[in-house]
Order: sequence, then structure tokens, then C-alpha cells
Amino acid sequence: MSQQVLWEVVKGNNAFLVKRNGLRLSTDPFNNTGVQTYSSTGFITNNAIGVVPTQAKTNQINNVNLVTRKSTKFQQADRKNKNTQSVYASTLSVKHGIHTASRVIRKRFGTRRLGLQKAALRKLVNLNRANAVRRRNEIAATKAQKR
Amino acid sequence: MTSVPLVSVFSADDSTKVTAKHIPLPAVFQTPIRPDIVSFVHTNIAKNRRQAHAVNPQAGMQHSAESWGTGRAVARIPRVSGSGTHRSGQAAFGNQCRKGRMSLPIKVWRRWHRRVNIKQKRHAAASAVAATGIVPLVLARGHRISQVPQIPLVVEDKIESYEKTTDALNFLKRFGAFEDVQKVVSTKVVRAGISKQRGKKYRVRKGPLVVYFNENAKLLKAFRNVPGVEVVNVTRLNLLQLAPGGQLGRFVIWTQSAFAHLDKLFGTYRYASVLKDGYQLLRPLLTNPDLARIINSNQVQEKVQPAKTTTVLHEVQKKNPLRNTKAMDRLNPYARKQRAAAIAAIKANTKGTKKIKKNKALKKASRAAFNKVSAALNDATNAAVQEEQDIKVKYFSVQKGAAQAE
Repeated sequence: MSQQVLWEVVKGNNAFLVKRNGLRLSTDPFNNTGVQTYSSTGFITNNAIGVVPTQAKTNQINNVNLVTRKSTKFQQADRKNKNTQSVYASTLSVKHGIHTASRVIRKRFGTRRLGLQKAALRKLVNLNRANAVRRRNEIAATKAQKR
Repeated sequence: MTSVPLVSVFSADDSTKVTAKHIPLPAVFQTPIRPDIVSFVHTNIAKNRRQAHAVNPQAGMQHSAESWGTGRAVARIPRVSGSGTHRSGQAAFGNQCRKGRMSLPIKVWRRWHRRVNIKQKRHAAASAVAATGIVPLVLARGHRISQVPQIPLVVEDKIESYEKTTDALNFLKRFGAFEDVQKVVSTKVVRAGISKQRGKKYRVRKGPLVVYFNENAKLLKAFRNVPGVEVVNVTRLNLLQLAPGGQLGRFVIWTQSAFAHLDKLFGTYRYASVLKDGYQLLRPLLTNPDLARIINSNQVQEKVQPAKTTTVLHEVQKKNPLRNTKAMDRLNPYARKQRAAAIAAIKANTKGTKKIKKNKALKKASRAAFNKVSAALNDATNAAVQEEQDIKVKYFSVQKGAAQAE
């Protein structure tokens, strides 16, 4: 289904839309800007990447996941089914560091969708910064415990 | 569409196993998504479950109230007759009065139900079925389908023989549909408003819709106690279930035979429907609605002019070409030559230096004459001024003399 047609159906109301203070925000996991607009709404496209924080377990280095629209498991298994909808999300956890994650983002969006690419990268960086703070506190807490 | 989209049928026991690899998608799933038709039909059909209610026709009117008329320093509203109680003399009957009847009391014969054209209803149902096969629409409706292996989800007929709720639950868990059920459970809220006292205590979300085919299927009983799940026979698909609230994209689980039956129900683009008499699926206005793809296609890009890198709308500051030679030259490159030719023509017209000298002599003479005239003027003005001064002096000295004399 084309993005334009889906947008016409979805822009008025959808489960991710939050109207607040005159703003139209979105809780769509594939939306890296937070604001609901045509280009930033990822769930109506085929090739969106969402940068999503997860609940970190203790000692987990990274708590960011990339959420993609392609279901790699089933697509790889059954290539003839490419006309049916690729289901929602397969997550890639960013445990190998943000560099590999940013590579995935850059490869997916390339030079054609710079706005989306930058939004995703920005979110990745910000989440990792917050994660670093959490990690620092964690380490300090364990050190304090040992003493 | 040259290639027919294909769907896998999953085994009921194992969500990774596929019993039938490639079944063609029924044509209903290709119908255009028409939220306008769906919402129109939905708003009307939703009224058909309403039960008649009315206000007691005598409510507020059970008095022998009469207006006191004018002249008694009170409003002319009918007033309760009699005496001996506070109520007597109070206003009655009007909608604005306390204890009066409402304006336009509701009658039982209010038009509660709406009829909708059959064709519209069918188009809406077809559109709603098509929407259940589109992942973003199901997501947009709010279903939790991230673990579901495929949309549309088609499962072998084995589930139609489920009798136990545990079987049903396990089945849902296997296919990632349990997340949606959990959503329903966790968002069950006590309803706001009086309805909770009228038998509608909770507001419950909609979960998956299970569609089966065989009439003797037992799965109705297995699934009916699972919160949020609805079960329906494919021959009785209901727009109110396919697009609850008029919102397209319900999460639907089809059994294999139900899925196969859809072609007979709605027909295809080659054959009209068998079961819906004379019904033909709606055709889309655009067969390829992907504008981006159309614009970027070879056929369009071949005909299109190359993109302009810069477009200059106007100069930074406007220069008048009639006065600014460079501006004129920019507009009319031949203007330069025209100007040079004009100057050359003027020079050619003037016959040598004699005429120039003659002009000079004339100029000299005229200047001399002018000087003469201006000199004469000067003298005249000076003389006049002097005369004035003399008179003034005389006058004031006479005055002084007179003053002295006194």
C-alpha cells in the first residue's frame, strides 16, 4: 500500500497520535522525531527504522534497540511471499555499539532520506548519552556496594 | 497486477510450520480502502442496535396549571392551581420551569434505525476486509501485532474444533495474538457516566476477531471467554466488528476455509460475487497509487525537463533600462550598437566646425546682451532702492524735527 494512501487514512486519527498543547505528537516507535508528520511517520512505510529504548537489565551495556519494519526471520525463510505484508518489527539490539547501529541507519536511509537519517542518528546519540549516565551511576553504585 | 500476492497458511499447533505455502490472496484484499464509505455506513448501521426509549408523555404535565394572565406583576407562565402548599402558584409546564416538562419530549416513534443501500454496505465490508490485511492500518487501530508472523493471518481449520479455552489461549499465544488480549485485559476500565448503573460497567477494548467457516465449529465456545476476542462466521461478517468505531484495520485471524470462501462471497475482479447477487468489487481510481514511484519512474522522468539548479526570480535591485545603459544592454544587446549609431548620426548631421563657431558666436552675443540687460536691471533696482532710502530718511528726520519742535 502506498505511503500516500495510508497517510490519508491514518493522519486524522491513529493509535499513536497524541494531541497535546496544540501539537500533534506521535508515540509511533518508527517515528524518531516525535511529531506526527507525513515523512516522519515510519509505520506507514516499508523501510523505517525506529530507535527505541528498552528496559535495561543490570550490567547490560546498551539499552537501545533498533526496530525495523521488515520481519527478517520470515522474509528470509519464504522469499516468494514478498507481496504479503512484512509484519511489524524485528528488533536489533545495539550491543555492538552505536557505530554498527549508525551504520545500519545510514545504509538504510542512504543519501536520499537525509532528514530521516539525521533524526534516527540524533535519537540514537541522545539515548546513548542517557544510557551512559545510567551506566556510570550503576558502576558507582556497585563500587559503593563493594566497599 | 501481473503477480498475484500469496499468503501462507499456518499450522494450528506450530506457528513456524506452514501447511499450505502459497495461497493466492482473495480479491477482496485488493479493493480500495474507502474510509469515507466505511465511516458513513458505520455511523448509520451503528444506530440499528438502538432500543426505543422515551420520556413519560405525562412528565411535568400532571397539573391543572393555568397562566394568571397579565396585571398581576408576575410572568405569564402557567402556574399551579390551588393553595395550601408551596407548590401552588409556582411555574409549571415550561421547559424552563422547575419540575416542568422537557422541550420536545422524546417520543418512542423517533426514527431510531437507518437503512443504508445494500451496495454501500457491501463496499464498506469489502473495504474493511481489505484493511485487515494491511499492517500499518492494523497498527494504527492500536492492535499489538508485533509478534504475529503474517498479516493476514490464516490458520488451518483445526482451530475450528477447539473446545477448551486453554487450547484457544495457547493458540493465541503461539501466534503472537496474546499481546493483543493482554492489552484488552490491562485496559479494562470502569465506564464514566451513568451507564455503569445501567449494565455497562466496563469499557473493554476489542481484541482479535476470529473468522471461521464451518457452521458446526466448536471454537465459538472455546474463544468466547477470552477477553476481547470475537468469533464470527465468514458468511456473516459484520462491519461493526471489522471496523469498530468506524476505524479500519481490525486484527483478524482467518481459518483456511473461511479465507478461501471470501472469493465466493465478494467475488473477484473477473467474476462477480456468487453469494451477493450482482455485487461487483469496487474498482480503484488509481491502479497504482504510489505517487513517488510514478514520479520517479523511467516513463515520467524521460519526458520531464531537467531540474533547475537555480531560479532567479528578479534582480536584487531594479535598474531602469531607459536610464541605466548597462541594464538596457542586459535586456537588449543591440542597444549598444543603436546608441553608437545615433551618436555617429548626430555627428554626421552637424556640418563641420563652421556651424559650431557660428553657434559659439551666437552664444557670445546672447550672453553679452543678457549681461547688458541684467546690468541695466541692476542699475534700475539700485536706483530704486536708493530713492526709497532717501524718502525714509526725509520722513524720519521730519518726524524728529516735529518731535523736537514740541
